[in-house]
Amino acid sequence: MSRSPAVFATVLALLAPLAAQAAPATDVVDLGGTRAYVRADAAVALTGIELFVRAGLDRETDHQNGAAALVAETVLQTPVDGVPLVEAVDARGGSLTFAVAAQYVRFYLEAQPDNIAPLADLVARALHAPSFDPTTLAAARGELGDRIADTESDPRLVGLEMLRASYYRDGAGTPALGTAASLLQLGPADTRAFYTQWYLRGDAFVTVVGRTGTTVPSAGRALADALPAGTAPAAAIAVRPLTAQPKRMVTHRGDVYSPYIVIGFGAPALGDPDFPAALVMRSMLSDLFRQDEATTRPSVFRPVGSIYDYDVDPAQLALWVNGGQIDPSVGVAALDALVKAAASRPLESAVLARYRQRARGEWALESLSLDERAWSIGNAVAHGLNADAADQVGAAIDKVTPSDVERVAKKWFQRFDVALVLPRGDGG
Amino acid sequence: MRHAGFATRAALVAALLVSALAGGVRAQGTAPLPSGTLPSGVAYQLRPDPSQDAAAVALWYRAPAAGFAPAPVPGFSGLAADTVAASVGVTGTSLGQLVNGFGGVLSVAVYPDSVSITAVVPPDHAAAVVRAMTAAYFAPVVTEDGLAIGLRETGQDALVRSFDPSEAIEDALGPTLFASGPLHDRTIPTPGSFKGLGVAEVRAFAERAFRPSNAILVLTGAVDGGALTGVASRPGAAPGASEAPAPEIVRSTPAPSPVPVTGNATGIGLGWVGPPIADEESATALDFLADVLFAPRTGLVTKAVGDRKASVSGKFVTYHTAGVFLVTISGDDAAAMQPIVEKTIDRVTRPLAPAAFGAARSGFVYRLLGDMETPAEIADTYGWYAVEGDAAYAPAEGGTDGRYFALASGLTPQAVARAAARYLGHPPSTVTLVKAQAAETRS
Repeated sequence: MSRSPAVFATVLALLAPLAAQAAPATDVVDLGGTRAYVRADAAVALTGIELFVRAGLDRETDHQNGAAALVAETVLQTPVDGVPLVEAVDARGGSLTFAVAAQYVRFYLEAQPDNIAPLADLVARALHAPSFDPTTLAAARGELGDRIADTESDPRLVGLEMLRASYYRDGAGTPALGTAASLLQLGPADTRAFYTQWYLRGDAFVTVVGRTGTTVPSAGRALADALPAGTAPAAAIAVRPLTAQPKRMVTHRGDVYSPYIVIGFGAPALGDPDFPAALVMRSMLSDLFRQDEATTRPSVFRPVGSIYDYDVDPAQLALWVNGGQIDPSVGVAALDALVKAAASRPLESAVLARYRQRARGEWALESLSLDERAWSIGNAVAHGLNADAADQVGAAIDKVTPSDVERVAKKWFQRFDVALVLPRGDGG
Repeated sequence: MRHAGFATRAALVAALLVSALAGGVRAQGTAPLPSGTLPSGVAYQLRPDPSQDAAAVALWYRAPAAGFAPAPVPGFSGLAADTVAASVGVTGTSLGQLVNGFGGVLSVAVYPDSVSITAVVPPDHAAAVVRAMTAAYFAPVVTEDGLAIGLRETGQDALVRSFDPSEAIEDALGPTLFASGPLHDRTIPTPGSFKGLGVAEVRAFAERAFRPSNAILVLTGAVDGGALTGVASRPGAAPGASEAPAPEIVRSTPAPSPVPVTGNATGIGLGWVGPPIADEESATALDFLADVLFAPRTGLVTKAVGDRKASVSGKFVTYHTAGVFLVTISGDDAAAMQPIVEKTIDRVTRPLAPAAFGAARSGFVYRLLGDMETPAEIADTYGWYAVEGDAAYAPAEGGTDGRYFALASGLTPQAVARAAARYLGHPPSTVTLVKAQAAETRS
């Protein structure tokens, strides 16, 4: 099947596009010293509140891998009214989850508007005084073990963790949830110490999305006030410079069924002037070897794809080559050729227009659920940007020029690390 | 060449009709109603939310997954929908290529008696996708290249579903509950399902199933009602009627249990026939019961499983003629779990204590609302209930003030127990799914 750009352009010209809707602004509310970033959407029936605590991976020392996740999971497992907090929230018509990133751990609470305040009070009780006793820690380790197993069965995420470990220094490069072995090394004293040192109100902030009501500010305040007062020294993420000769890492996994090659580039973070052009590069690279499709294919059936971790500065862009769909050496050679070509001459305008359009669409679809929207606002704030910064990215992609792509390809995409994730034994 | 010629002609006429219609609805100068039927016979549901960053454009059709012919072909509707999305007509761009070029996501979902095509795209491309999708399906172009892509992707999707214990078991339960009809005929194709099918057969299905008068167009998220002016039509055809629900015969006596079925996954399935969608109160009660029993963490069965090496899931699926309550048990301890699951289900034939009932309802309402956050999820809700014949009962309709949630609020422990006793208070149909290789070894 061949594409016909001329006919395509004619048809597009016939189709008058709708004007884009104006992006709603995010309000900033003072919760007694803690800031809340509130973006209302009355068309949805739920409220989401996300508490960002500056207790992410980079707070872990060499002997604390997994502490950020274990402390967060311990909060969820802390008994409240006789049952673990997470279960108590479920039983009262809400949900509570957490995620660990390089700098922040974030707790996301979701419920109907009239229920969010009582549930926030419940969460605040556990957040204020987590139970670090052996029983609760064992339950937390068990929950994390299931999540770790899920990560380790996905070759793309295995490769990504290897690349993160190679690129980021110190705690920021360690496995986000720890490992089964590292979690066993962390006892009550370790986890309590981590909580005491880093769970501080002065470094925290809140995002609120969805249907907001009069009780939402008090709910946000309850969460923030649960944290002890204080701030910790600021810290930046450090990376190891990538070298001209790619570093190669290999692992063999029993629950991986096809070889994967994952290539890691340093990449601009949200707010970096190079970020929009890097998103265009991502679209181009992810399009390599794409067959004509009826429907959007799941990753297992795609030869090449990408994971852009832009919740950390500097960011990392990982491209994976699926050995079950394509000869990995052919895939890597093509990716290498493409990044070199992009750095050596400007893209043709038609090609750039095509990938700008795709990149803008992919960006629009990144944050659709309430928790994604809460994260998107928080990610901007965590980078020191305006809370609405993510809204501006689409327009910035439209302005990317051939020289932007060439510059970004030269600056960010010429050096990389390589992770090989191979099936163990006969490969299943 | 004959097929290609037809494809070009049909697409050209469809494109012309788009141009002719554009402005027709808009010229009336009134905002379109949230629901209605266009002159071409296309029913629509329009639920904009400008706060969203994307729009969902979905077409839903009542069409049996196994086709209209007497001999069922499991998954045929998915093959046809995929093929149309992949076929290139006169524009030179398939629907799949167009949505992909917009950075959007296009998906096809196959259900026993319906099929949906959903695109999620940035707001400024929503109108273009409405035009392209309706043109593609209302005057379907079916090419050899498109069929090859459709066969490839349908095969991939079938492979994924066959390895998912829940999907595979639920599919296998259909024939144990129904003597004939869409649920009996199954939705997951086998490797030989499409043998002998060509462009002509796929086109015949597409032209009958995907006609405008059988379509329900759902627009949600950041989409403007003006997009309706771009809806295509089928050339030269009067609107006609939508497809009638396919006849379905519930087994008067359960199939011999347990029915052994071979596949790529292993597990145990339990199935009961439930109320039709018209019995809204009972259907809501069974939705609630599924949540009471199988909700993550707090469900009665979920708690009964505890730390055992078993995964148990359950749901009630609302259909036009008869709903189904399906339970799947998989994992090393599946066999040991079956009596525990059945005993726990038997418990809900007696009324829950008021406090437990109130808490369970609160969780049920939250989880239902949580499934309707994104434009695609909301479109799915409207599409499903509209195609099953009761759009006003869609949980998304009216939010928590709508009919569905009013019924949920009105549930009582006694009414729920009565529904459980009536529909779940007898032995289920049972299947045991074993891996094909293991079955061969044993024999």
